[in-house]
Amino acid sequence: MPADYAIETSNLKKIYRSRWRKREVRAVDGITLRVARGTTYGLLGPNGAGKTTFVKLLLSAVIPTEGEARVFGRDVHEAEARRPIGYLPENHRFPTYFTGAGMLDFYAALSGVGPADRKRLIPELLEMVELEKWGLVRIGKYSKGMLQRLGLAQAIIHSPSLLILDEPSDGVDPMGRRHIREILERLEHKGVTIFINSHQLAEVELFCSEVAILYKGKVALSGKVRDLVAGKGYRLSASNVPEALETALRERASAVASRDGVVDFQFASSEQANEAIDLLRGEKCAIESLVQTSSTLEDVFIQTIGGEKTPAAVSTTSTAQEVTA
Amino acid sequence: MNASIALIRDTFREAIARKIFWGLFGLSSLMILFFLFVMKIDIVAGATASISLFGLQSHNTTDVSRLVRGIFAGVATFLYTFGMFLAVFASAGLTPSVLEPGRIELLLSKPVSRWHILMGRYVGNLLVVLCNTVYLVTSIWLILGWKTGIWNFAFLLAIPTTTFIFAVLLAVVVLVGVLWDSTALAIMVTVGLMIVSPILAQKDTIVKLMSSEWSRRLWLALYYILPKVSDLGRITLSAIMDRTFDGWMPVWTSALFGAVALGTALYTFSRRSF
Repeated sequence: MPADYAIETSNLKKIYRSRWRKREVRAVDGITLRVARGTTYGLLGPNGAGKTTFVKLLLSAVIPTEGEARVFGRDVHEAEARRPIGYLPENHRFPTYFTGAGMLDFYAALSGVGPADRKRLIPELLEMVELEKWGLVRIGKYSKGMLQRLGLAQAIIHSPSLLILDEPSDGVDPMGRRHIREILERLEHKGVTIFINSHQLAEVELFCSEVAILYKGKVALSGKVRDLVAGKGYRLSASNVPEALETALRERASAVASRDGVVDFQFASSEQANEAIDLLRGEKCAIESLVQTSSTLEDVFIQTIGGEKTPAAVSTTSTAQEVTA
Repeated sequence: MNASIALIRDTFREAIARKIFWGLFGLSSLMILFFLFVMKIDIVAGATASISLFGLQSHNTTDVSRLVRGIFAGVATFLYTFGMFLAVFASAGLTPSVLEPGRIELLLSKPVSRWHILMGRYVGNLLVVLCNTVYLVTSIWLILGWKTGIWNFAFLLAIPTTTFIFAVLLAVVVLVGVLWDSTALAIMVTVGLMIVSPILAQKDTIVKLMSSEWSRRLWLALYYILPKVSDLGRITLSAIMDRTFDGWMPVWTSALFGAVALGTALYTFSRRSF
C-alpha cells in the first residue's frame, strides 16, 4: 500500500556538540512534520532556524541525533528511499569541468536512469530550462541563473515524486523565476510533491498550499497558507493544555504551533475561538492571549518569529489586534 | 552498475580537468621517448652489449640480459619512489574535492549508498594510476624487448605491484581526506609513511642498537603494522633480477593495513554529517 505522506518526520533532532567546550547547538530540535502526497509545501524561517539542516536530514546527508525521517514510508537511511527524490541544493557547487549535458548525464545515471533514456531526456530537459544551446558548454561559463535552471533540470530528470528545492529562485532574475514557477506548476499538476525551502515569502505564498515556519530548530507554526492568510482570524494562546484537548482542537484550528508550554491555535472565526475558550476553561487551562489577525504570509511570519523575539511588537503591528479574552 | 560507471568516469573526468591524468601521461611519455630515442643499446657480439646516451658510447660491454634486467630494476625503483610520490601528490585532492559543501549533499541525495560513492572515487583514482602504469611499463617492456630481443616478463610484475602499493597508500589518502577534508594533510601523512618505510625496514640492524626492550618492541610493531613500501619494491626487484626473496609477509601485512584504512574511511564516511 502506498504511503499517505511524502515526508514524515518524528521528533527529528540534530544536536551539534562541541567536543572541547561541551557547548551544544540544537540545529533541529524535535520536528514532527507530515507532508501529504501531491502537496506544495513551503519551509520558512529566519537564518539559522534549521531549515537547511532539516532538508539535509530528509536526504540523509546529515545523521540525526534522535528521531526518524521517512519519505513515502521508507526510512531515509536506505539508499532506495531517495530514489523518488529530486533535490536542488542551496549554494550548489556543480563541478565546473562538466558541460551542461555532461552534468545531467552524470546525475541522471546516479539516479538510475539508463543510457538510452538519458540520451533522450537530456536534450528535452535542456530545452525545458531554455539551455538547449548551452548543453555542450562547460558550466564554469554559466551565469548563476543558468546554473540554477540546470540544477532544476538535474533534479527532475528522473521524474521524481518528491522535489526538494532549497532556495530555488536564488540569484534568478524575475523572468527566470517565472519560468521556474511554470515548470514547478506543471510538475504539481502531475502530482509531484514539492517541498520548498525559501526566504522568498511572496513566492511561497503564491505557490505553496501549506507552510511550516521554523524557529530555533522547532516548528513555530504550520498550516494551510489560505487559512493562515485568510482575511479575519483569531489566534488563541493557552497554556497547560492537556494532550487530548490539544488533539481535539487541532482538528478545528487552521494552524497550531506550540512553544515553551504555550499552544497557539489559529481559528477562522470568533465562534470557533469562543468554543475553544469554553473547552479550555472547562479543563482549567490558562488563556494567555487572543489576537485578531488579518495578514499576508509575511505578517504571519513576522508575528510568529518577531512575536517570540519581541512580544511587544505583535500588539503594535497593524495586522494584529489584541481583543479581550 | 550505471552508478558505479558514472562515479568512476567522474573521477577520470576530474583527473583530466585537473591535468592530473595528462600530467602523469606526459611524464610517462617522456620516459618512453627516452628509451625509444635517447638510449641506444648496441649488441656487440651476440650476448654482450653497450649503451649509448645522447650519442655518447659507454666503453664497457656487458651481458645483454643483465643489462636489460638492470634497466628494468631501475625503472621499477623509479616507480616505487618518484612515481609513487607523484601519484600521491596528484591524486590526494580527488577525495576532499568530492566532499566540498554544495557538492556532497547532491551526491548523497541520490539513491546510491555512501560506501558506493567513496569506493567509486577510490576505484576511479586507482584506475587513473593503473592506466598510466600499464602505459609506461608495457611501453618500456616492448621497446627494450624490441631493441634487445630479450623479453623479461617479470618486469610486467611492476604493474600489479605498483598498483598494489598505490592502492594501500590511496587508502590512507582517502582516510585522511574523509577525516579532515585536507589535501595537504593527506599528502603529508602518506609521504611520511613512504619515508618511514625504508627506515623501519632496517629493523634487524636498528633493533640491535636499541638499549630498551620496549623501544625494540615499538620499532617492530611499527614495522609490522605500517605498509612496507620499500619491502614491496624489493620483492619486485628480486623477481625482475631473478633472485629469491624472504616471503610474502610484506604483501599481506600491507594489504591488511590498506584494508583497515579503507574500512575506517568507509565507516567514518557513512557516519558523517555534511
